[in-house]
Amino acid sequence: MRSFLLKLGATALTLGTTVASAMYVTAHMKNPSAPLQPAVLASQNGGTVGELTITPGVRQGDVQPVTSTYAS
Amino acid sequence: MRRSGEVEAHHFEAMGTACSVFGIDVTRTTLLKAESWVRRMAARFTRFSDRSELAQINRSEGAWVSVSPEMEELLRESLRAFELSAGLVNAAVLPSMLAIGYTRPLREGTSTATLESARPAPRLHDVLAVRPGRARVARGCGVDLGGIAKGWMADRLTARPGVNVLANLGGDLRAAGSGPAGDGWPVGFGGVTVMLRDQGAATSSVRRRSWGNLHHLIDPRTGLPARSALEEVAVVAASGCDAEIVAKTALLLGPGLAPAYCAAHAQAWWLRP
Repeated sequence: MRSFLLKLGATALTLGTTVASAMYVTAHMKNPSAPLQPAVLASQNGGTVGELTITPGVRQGDVQPVTSTYAS
Repeated sequence: MRRSGEVEAHHFEAMGTACSVFGIDVTRTTLLKAESWVRRMAARFTRFSDRSELAQINRSEGAWVSVSPEMEELLRESLRAFELSAGLVNAAVLPSMLAIGYTRPLREGTSTATLESARPAPRLHDVLAVRPGRARVARGCGVDLGGIAKGWMADRLTARPGVNVLANLGGDLRAAGSGPAGDGWPVGFGGVTVMLRDQGAATSSVRRRSWGNLHHLIDPRTGLPARSALEEVAVVAASGCDAEIVAKTALLLGPGLAPAYCAAHAQAWWLRP
């Protein structure tokens, strides 16, 4: 009887965790405040051609550059 | 006498382009050693010298050949570039490079183009195999590492932990450390200054290394110079090599897909039509 209860408990725990995980993932699949989303969403408008796009991962400065990137 | 925190710079010509290395609290000797390393690697990776390590691999007719650790690393990087770019950065475009007449350094002029012989490039994984200390290029094929070598070298030059240096090899650059004032290395990018800290930047263009109506950027889908509606793409990414790969891929994708690709793989980008 004790063995049966342990198995039943383990099974219930597994199913409960699976259902809770699925609910959490479904609820959080599209998080508009995720770090990469703004840039991706902006790019889908096609408005970045000819414009400079800088994500929060790059900081602009107001000092003279020591060098630059260029085509060679 | 040099003050602590001062930027030491060294400029030189290599690989047919201008190169610069900058460092904080580094000696002149360190920067000269960097130049020497770049020249050694360039001699190893060039396809323009029959004596280079790359030329020996391309001549191997499908046999396994021993490769240096640096060559092995760069060849593996070319396979990664192929995957990251969905096949658009493909080192197996060497036959197309020869078909468009890019058979020697451009300062020596080009050969007669035979565009009718150009073919779509094969999958790089069908051409190139790499094992520890060995590599093999399929018979009748060849690889050209010019598309990623400069970015890879910039990454390697700045790879040592704790260094505060910036390497710019023909516009493909990587900045490591906190820069001169502790807030990153100031780098010109798309008309503004960005402060790079453990990041890379690169620019790909069809306007440079061009002659007549041809240019050096091959679209592996056609085997011919790319006919993209973008002329130039500049990118900031996690490393110099990644920036080089993303910039080339975006240019080849064109204005329709490049913004989404850059949004997924770059930290800043400038797409010039």
